[in-house]
Amino acid sequence: MAVSLERRTGAVGFFYWLWDGVDRTIFTAIKFSFPARFVSPFGFLGMLTFTVFIILGVSGALLMFYYQPMLDRAWDSVQFINDEVPFGFHIRNIHYHGSNAMVLLAVLHMYYQYFSGRYKIRNEVLWMTGVILGVVTILEAFTGYDVIFSERAELAISIAASLTTSIPVVGPTIRDAALGSGFSDFVLRFYAQHVFLLPIVMLGLMAVHFPRFLVFDVPMVMAIGGAILITGGVFPIDMGFKFEPTVPPGVTVPEWYLTGIYAFMRTQYDKFVTGLLWPLLFIISLVLIPFIDRYKKFSWRDRPIITAFGITSLAQIMVTTYWGFYISPDVSVPLVERLVIDPIFFYSTMILMVPLGFGFTYMMIKLANEAERKSKLAKSTGPKKVATINLSEKWINWLLVALLAFQVFLNIAAYNAALIGMKNISLFFIGIVLLVFAAFFHIYRYAISQEKNAPPPAPIPVQEEKPKLAEPDVSVEQSKLSKGDSLSEGKSEPKELAPEVPVPKTQADLGVGANNNLDLGSGDLPKP
Amino acid sequence: MSELGTKKSGGLSRRDFLKLMGAAGTGLAFAPFVPFGNYMPNPNQASLEKVPVILPDGTQANINTYPINHAEVITYPATGDAALDAEAFRKWQFIRLPDELGGGKKDTSSIRAYSMICLHLWCLWKYWPDDGRKRGECPCHGSMYDPVTGTAFVGPASVQAAPSNTLPELSLEIDSDGFVFILPPKFNANDNGVIGYGRFT
Repeated sequence: MAVSLERRTGAVGFFYWLWDGVDRTIFTAIKFSFPARFVSPFGFLGMLTFTVFIILGVSGALLMFYYQPMLDRAWDSVQFINDEVPFGFHIRNIHYHGSNAMVLLAVLHMYYQYFSGRYKIRNEVLWMTGVILGVVTILEAFTGYDVIFSERAELAISIAASLTTSIPVVGPTIRDAALGSGFSDFVLRFYAQHVFLLPIVMLGLMAVHFPRFLVFDVPMVMAIGGAILITGGVFPIDMGFKFEPTVPPGVTVPEWYLTGIYAFMRTQYDKFVTGLLWPLLFIISLVLIPFIDRYKKFSWRDRPIITAFGITSLAQIMVTTYWGFYISPDVSVPLVERLVIDPIFFYSTMILMVPLGFGFTYMMIKLANEAERKSKLAKSTGPKKVATINLSEKWINWLLVALLAFQVFLNIAAYNAALIGMKNISLFFIGIVLLVFAAFFHIYRYAISQEKNAPPPAPIPVQEEKPKLAEPDVSVEQSKLSKGDSLSEGKSEPKELAPEVPVPKTQADLGVGANNNLDLGSGDLPKP
Repeated sequence: MSELGTKKSGGLSRRDFLKLMGAAGTGLAFAPFVPFGNYMPNPNQASLEKVPVILPDGTQANINTYPINHAEVITYPATGDAALDAEAFRKWQFIRLPDELGGGKKDTSSIRAYSMICLHLWCLWKYWPDDGRKRGECPCHGSMYDPVTGTAFVGPASVQAAPSNTLPELSLEIDSDGFVFILPPKFNANDNGVIGYGRFT
């Protein structure tokens, strides 16, 4: 191997050739930036949402290998994935928690754009497609948790189909055409919509929705991925109960992004109004916000009415979301009383949110203006000191090595947990691996930028100092690359961990051990 | 690789060192997803056990009543799931040899169970008891199988190198009342063979 990585020969040359070929494609028209320092994730929540969409696409495609969209097989096939297929538990949990993450990120993305007024200055189309994209995302997530056809999924499908039927005049026709005429159709068609129609619609909307400037922040993407896996490890999604038509299902609530609507429906008012019209009103008002907002300024502080509306809607969403979840645990109370939400209480709370939201906004703006005034005063007296972490080159190197060693440990731990059947622990550890990589990458890019921006030192003194400075580098890579049998003294930490590096060996072991495929028996072929 | 650091030129530049660390970190971050590949092959759904030979009419095959020079399709391993049991990989030709090939005997030497998957291009062959045929024939490309050994003697399957010229076979057992059982098979080329691939004789 060459001492320098600058030479572009062989495979490296080929990849550079491929990379240069991208010049001729559409991709160069998109301004992609990989930030070299920490930037607030609020600015690229949309990109994070898209990344989770890709994760969902991959994990969903894998689930399609085993899932069977049939009335009497759907639940069993999911159970087979969850319990029997190696790493099926992992894939299913990544897919489930990824869907929650995508909805959450989409909502956060929307509210950030809302409060920062980004839908102005000819971004109206981006905003409107974004709102529709968000609605389709929720529909996509909804159809997803229905296709398992557990008790809760059956109730959710029933509600969706009956709500569709409740649309005046055309409802039954739409339901027949789009969802089918019975549960066998519903399951199959929800599946078709979940894996094909809605994703295609989403991709089409994305083509319009993508701005020209995109930020791909590796540490944040990794952190989101890690968070999804860790959530899956800590709160693994259960199977629910298989739906049996002869067994009345228990009381269930929908996923958290729909409990708000569910709360409205539980007020016992007309289902079309509460289940479709109110949400539709909300969506339409969101779509029209760019045309309602006539403020000339962007900041939330300079748009008090719009900000107050946003705060009020957030408060109402939170309250209804919680209310939809809440069912009195007291089973001695008749079921109707437990489930039905008193509409007078409910709607008066909703109305109460309006003055509260306005008051809260007024207070926030006052406080923010006051804080700004104070900071301006403080600025005139002198620059504010910001605490920073300053690490020398040597310590950054050691930090990277330590994180690598931790990665090796986590890899082994995750694999070991998977081997002995502790699936959620292994999912948790893989999530930690991704989080550690996020930290690792952040330090790495900091070091690279530091190296790039370092003032050019006078050549000769550096030459003399080199042995002293380079020493940690040398021993580090020796102990890493030569797997611990090098001459380097001291530095026990990487030395001890380095022999554990050959993770792939154990992976190969599993590949052999787990293969006793009955039907194809291809694992036995090399035997003769 | 260990001479990397001991080069007289002063070792790796810091930039290259960082790049190598970055590559190692990326590799380690994605290494846990490599075993996810085990998700792809479908794990076994039926256990291989000793089971009676159940004929299509639902009765267990008996050597005293099963006609000479005759074949039926049996399912092994049966799962009880109609969709899975319908698949060709679970279908076997249960053959009682003709008299001249020793089919008259009352022991396991007179019966055979071969995988119905032709070794050429996986069409389903079947046994023809007519005079002058008395062999397995594949309808697609005309491979013919010797009912005694399961080895192809005519057609494209016969010119394939071993083990791909001999059909996988189930080991059978007959109890004192004449009832036929399938013994737990080992699906590899040296024992019962690999379905669709073949068996060493």
